[in-house]
Amino acid sequence: MTKTPQHIIIIGGGPAGLEAASSLGAAGYKVTVLEKDEKTGGKLNLWYKLFPGFRPSGEVQEYLANGHKMNPPEIITNAEVVSVLPETDHHKVILSDGKAFKADVVLIATGFQVFSAEKKEEYGYKIYDNIITSVDLENQLKSGNPVKTVTGATPQRIAFIHCVGSRDKKVGNIYCSRVCCITGVKQAIEMKEHLPKAEIFNFYMDMRMFGQNFEELYIEAQQKWGITFIRGRVSEIAENIDGSLQLKAEDTLSGRPMKMNFDLVVLLVGMVPALGTEAIGKSAGLAFTSGNFLASNDTHFNQNETCTPGIFVTGTCKEPLSVAETLTDARAATVRIISWLREKELESNN
Amino acid sequence: MNCGVCTAICPAAEFYHYDPRVICDTVQSKDEKLIEALLRSETIWYCGECMSCKTRCPRGNTPGFVVMALRKLSQELGYFTDSEKGRQQFAIKRAIGENILRSGYCVHPDIVSPQMHPEQGPVWDWISRNTPEIMEKMGSNYKQEGAGGLRSIAPEVLEELNQIFEVTGCHTMFDTIEKYSKEKADELGIEISDEGIGNEYFMTVFSENNGIHNI
Amino acid sequence: MVLEGKKRVWEDYQKEIADDHYFYVRSCIRQTFFPGSETTFLRIMRDDLGKDVFEDARHTTCTGIGYHTDIVPLDTTMTVIARHFALMTEAGYTNIIPSCVTSFGLYTEVLETWKHFPETEAKIRDYLWKATKREFKIPENLVHTSDIIYKFRNQIKEKSKVSLINKKTGLPLKVVEHIGCHYAKMFPTSGVGGAEFPSVLSGMIESWGGSVIDYPERRHCCGFGFRQYLVMANRGYSVSNSKKKFESMQPYQPDFIVANCPGCSMFLDRWQYTIAELEGITYDNKGMGIPVLTYEEMAGLVMGYSPWELGLQLHQVSVEPLLDKLGIEYNKEEKYLGAHGQKIGEPQKPQFLIV
Repeated sequence: MTKTPQHIIIIGGGPAGLEAASSLGAAGYKVTVLEKDEKTGGKLNLWYKLFPGFRPSGEVQEYLANGHKMNPPEIITNAEVVSVLPETDHHKVILSDGKAFKADVVLIATGFQVFSAEKKEEYGYKIYDNIITSVDLENQLKSGNPVKTVTGATPQRIAFIHCVGSRDKKVGNIYCSRVCCITGVKQAIEMKEHLPKAEIFNFYMDMRMFGQNFEELYIEAQQKWGITFIRGRVSEIAENIDGSLQLKAEDTLSGRPMKMNFDLVVLLVGMVPALGTEAIGKSAGLAFTSGNFLASNDTHFNQNETCTPGIFVTGTCKEPLSVAETLTDARAATVRIISWLREKELESNN
Repeated sequence: MNCGVCTAICPAAEFYHYDPRVICDTVQSKDEKLIEALLRSETIWYCGECMSCKTRCPRGNTPGFVVMALRKLSQELGYFTDSEKGRQQFAIKRAIGENILRSGYCVHPDIVSPQMHPEQGPVWDWISRNTPEIMEKMGSNYKQEGAGGLRSIAPEVLEELNQIFEVTGCHTMFDTIEKYSKEKADELGIEISDEGIGNEYFMTVFSENNGIHNI
Repeated sequence: MVLEGKKRVWEDYQKEIADDHYFYVRSCIRQTFFPGSETTFLRIMRDDLGKDVFEDARHTTCTGIGYHTDIVPLDTTMTVIARHFALMTEAGYTNIIPSCVTSFGLYTEVLETWKHFPETEAKIRDYLWKATKREFKIPENLVHTSDIIYKFRNQIKEKSKVSLINKKTGLPLKVVEHIGCHYAKMFPTSGVGGAEFPSVLSGMIESWGGSVIDYPERRHCCGFGFRQYLVMANRGYSVSNSKKKFESMQPYQPDFIVANCPGCSMFLDRWQYTIAELEGITYDNKGMGIPVLTYEEMAGLVMGYSPWELGLQLHQVSVEPLLDKLGIEYNKEEKYLGAHGQKIGEPQKPQFLIV
């Protein structure tokens, strides 16, 4: 084409945003990525090793950085988008400092934030010591420092609690966050590698091993690493006088209530839409799913287009996804955007 | 979702052979045979109605309320006399139910006899033998007219209660409990009187425990 | 333990508590086992805080125990409660304060039910009219009497004569606070501090100088279980649940236990006696047990009222060790006297529990 390439603004410089930026750039479009933090990468920056193969997260970060070599996008960091105003020919994207951008297409890739485990009061996160989230644990493992209790002891018995903040009407999130189960298996193995003598228990309701090699990893966790999986959702965590934690659950497979003491408890927290997504979605006239994620037009035919023409969504701002799935979704959004722009062009030519 | 947080926290599940999650599962199955068996069983009488289950259920359910509904149905259908714990409803109706209509109180010192309540200790024995004097010291208005603790509740008020019990179906419930209990007492050949607690059937259901509820 | 975390939860659950003009309804169990507590509540409210607390002699049991033993149908209980609302309306009040925690839970349950099912409210109004020709308005404020003492804890502190401090050591007393299940477990937003970390009693304790013990079985039911206690054959359930709590709190060496539910106060007191007699075990180190107080008795002691006026002699576990720690003087000779100083005998001593 000989005319000026259309301008696409991508809101969010995490894996979804960066992958879409590379693909759209490679296809010849002018791309601007607006990232609210001071660096790109999103939640990928927090992860240690990715499931199921324990790939260091750095490898994916490197891949995303290299993808920009062909027609690099303009990346603006410390740019927090507060609203998107759809207009007939262009869309206006407005930052928190008032600066405005114009785009032919807006791709929202604002991602997710982690469920605030404090909301699950009965688990005592940030009230009792030695209770951490899976995100806290990734951080710990990344630091390379040995995992210890608050008093500096080596934990002998560790519990992983599945479904924290997900599948839970009480905290307002009835959906499943998809990737916490496999994270629980991954981290249980990582902890066992780190502390071979420790006893590790995972408390789950269902083991959602949906992806390639997930079930194999689950079997490895049980056979090779001796991790015990108990089918029962944890009801309550309390603190003993020695600082260990008393946990109550029902072993539903044997139909008996149980209580056990642990030195360390890891809460596998779910995903909620990132802060700011709701405001952006509302300003753009978008629809929301029952979990308050951004809704796309159709589950099978149109996962990246929204009810506002020219505004697309990709990544975990529309539903919980793994990193691999996020990248795939970003490429799908790219294809859809390209088709859409072509259709528009053909329309205006006729 | 059969998560078990209710059973995890249930005081009855720790003490009895009891699982509130399984009860909800059974009711949800809509299987008439299973539900009838449940209504005739000891199981539904183990719950202590503390409602700890309501606080925790991630689906917003309350097994305790389900159990209350099952207990109501079990009595209405007469199935409660099949189980040792169910038969106790007769004792409760005679001791508490009749006391409500007679005095306007559920529990009152007059019906907490040291013989039936040895766990209340020697202090209660002393209180029982000196109730008017002790209540006076405590600032109560024991068996007197007017406001105050343990006051005498006026006949007109008791009649209002009686009317409420009639209109809302409580008398019907009481009569149902009586009817099926009498049938059971006759079947077992145990003496039962028309009212009050001084009869063999009352003492039997009040104190009988076959010792296999905890397995 | 990170106290800031608990405080954050408490702040999330604040409820409105009216500040005067209360319609008071009594508790069957509190009147029976802790009659001095209700007297003390009224004394503190009326005499010390100058509040208007009205009691209509025509109120009755709410039938809560009948409802929770499944002999009284829900419709009946709702109508009896509606009758109390009618008495409240007739007397010109809009704030109702039950003394019993089961009542409070039940009143809350009834109002919630009517909110979601207005047709049920209409039916009950109909029943009440048919049975008694009475009509009622929904209360504007419904709180438990312990919420009121919680609300005025700082005023009580200002007038107090005693702090919850061990006079010998100068350290705050270690207190186990026990919240009745029906206070907040059913509707967490109806309890100050919510259901997991309720603060109605810990607020009082800390305001009056004590320190609160958190122990693993803090949230566990005391084991009343309604039918599980009232029927003799079932009492194993009841005592076992209290025992579980005692074993859990023992390592922390509490100076006393306080409860806002009258049933809980009674059970935590009597089951210590029962366990001592059956198994020879007490949970303190003197063979006397851990003293149990109602929150009214705790408030009364802090206000400087005499222990025997409060009714502490009606407890089975002796409260004297606690009184000694608090530095409160009491006359042993007067413990078991009647209202006019007359001798009315004494309770016998248990075999194992030292009183």
